[in-house]
Amino acid sequence: MMHSDTLVSRAREGDKNAQGKLVQLWYKRIYNFSYKFFFDHDMAMEVSQKTFISMYKNMEGLQEITRFKSWLYTIAVNQCREELRKKKTRRSVSLHDLRPGEHEESYRWEASSSRSENPEKQLRQSELSDLLQQCLMELSDEQREVVIMKEYEGLKFREIAEALQISENTVKSRMYYGLDGLKKILESKNITKETIGYEL
Amino acid sequence: MNYKPDESTLIAYLYGELDAKNVEKVQEYLDRNPAVLKKLQGLSEVRSVLSHAGDQEVIAPPIFMDSTNHASRFWESGYFKTVMSIAASILFLLVAAQLIGPEISYSGGELRISFNRDKQIEKPIEQVAVPTLSSSEVQDMINTSLVKNNEQISSEWERNNRKLQASLKNSLTTNSEKIDELMKVASQASQEQVRTFVASLQQDNLQLMKDYLQLSAKDQKTYVESLLVDFSKYLQEQRKQDLVLFQTRMSSIEKNTDQFKQETEQILANIISNPEGVLKRVNNY
Repeated sequence: MMHSDTLVSRAREGDKNAQGKLVQLWYKRIYNFSYKFFFDHDMAMEVSQKTFISMYKNMEGLQEITRFKSWLYTIAVNQCREELRKKKTRRSVSLHDLRPGEHEESYRWEASSSRSENPEKQLRQSELSDLLQQCLMELSDEQREVVIMKEYEGLKFREIAEALQISENTVKSRMYYGLDGLKKILESKNITKETIGYEL
Repeated sequence: MNYKPDESTLIAYLYGELDAKNVEKVQEYLDRNPAVLKKLQGLSEVRSVLSHAGDQEVIAPPIFMDSTNHASRFWESGYFKTVMSIAASILFLLVAAQLIGPEISYSGGELRISFNRDKQIEKPIEQVAVPTLSSSEVQDMINTSLVKNNEQISSEWERNNRKLQASLKNSLTTNSEKIDELMKVASQASQEQVRTFVASLQQDNLQLMKDYLQLSAKDQKTYVESLLVDFSKYLQEQRKQDLVLFQTRMSSIEKNTDQFKQETEQILANIISNPEGVLKRVNNY
């Protein structure tokens, strides 16, 4: 557990320190969820900030402290969907959309915690990460959000169901077909466990 | 034996979120169905591949929020603002109407919009009943009016003509008198001017000629002087050169004479010292 119920309780009562602490604890997770959903740094930053502003404003409305995690992801998912809707209605296409993920290259190099590792290995890891991200982007939005929540955010099916406000069986079904779809996408790109092991 | 797990159960089994009782059932099912087992293994492999996409490093930015929780007042609500804006617009229109005084009227199929003017509605033209006239009466009326008009025009023209002729005569007489006076003045003035002009011209010419002659005499004198000087210099130079030439020729003659004298002396000396040899040589010739 990334937080204690006491921290959430204090934040709900308006404790600024507790709220700041929650932001510090959850920012990376929400950013990564948004980043994997959009494969776009700017969009992920936008969603993350809006999520935590919304969290701050609606903290008093949190009914059960134990459901903070799914509640926070509900906000994040709603923000993602809102941004996605805006992006679809927007006529202009940013240059970044043409080659997504490219401009984060230097950012990732600088921010990487494993800078002491072999640079070549690090570059391959980065390329593989982008490749897998592109595969994820080929899934439908519904399947993608479930796969990300389960695979990368480590939520239980119950928590995902709460966050998305759908039944647990629907979540599992989306997960099954999402993984199945990913399997086909990976096969089409010749990405297997063996090829990754050989590359790395 | 007829147990067949659905996708939800299989995915829950894959992620270890299935209760113990169902796990056993699924395992037994998978033992009996290697194709489903292989499918699940494929999905598991996908999971392991996906695990290679790591997290992005990010630093949480400071988020500052306004700590004061404003209670929303009724005048800050959207409805109140909308109603107030409409009321303000109507008020503005009323004030504007009061200031510019628009008038809108509709009468006789005509819509009139005017600003800041008195209402002017044309009254319908009242049709007065006129007694009817016969055509001959109308013709007579026209004829009489035409005759009157012609008479009036002709008398007016006559009067104007007389006035015009009288004014022309007056202006001609006054202008001719003025021109005569001007001509007299001009002729007198011109005789005096011509005399003075001719006198001044003669004087100028005289002076000019004097100046010219003086200047030319001076120039000629200077020129002759310079010519004489140049000629004397030339003569001196020529004399020098002649002297030099003469001296040169004299010296060359002197030199030749000396040389001839020496040769003669040498010949004479030879003859004296060896008279026989000289005689032989003379005979040989």
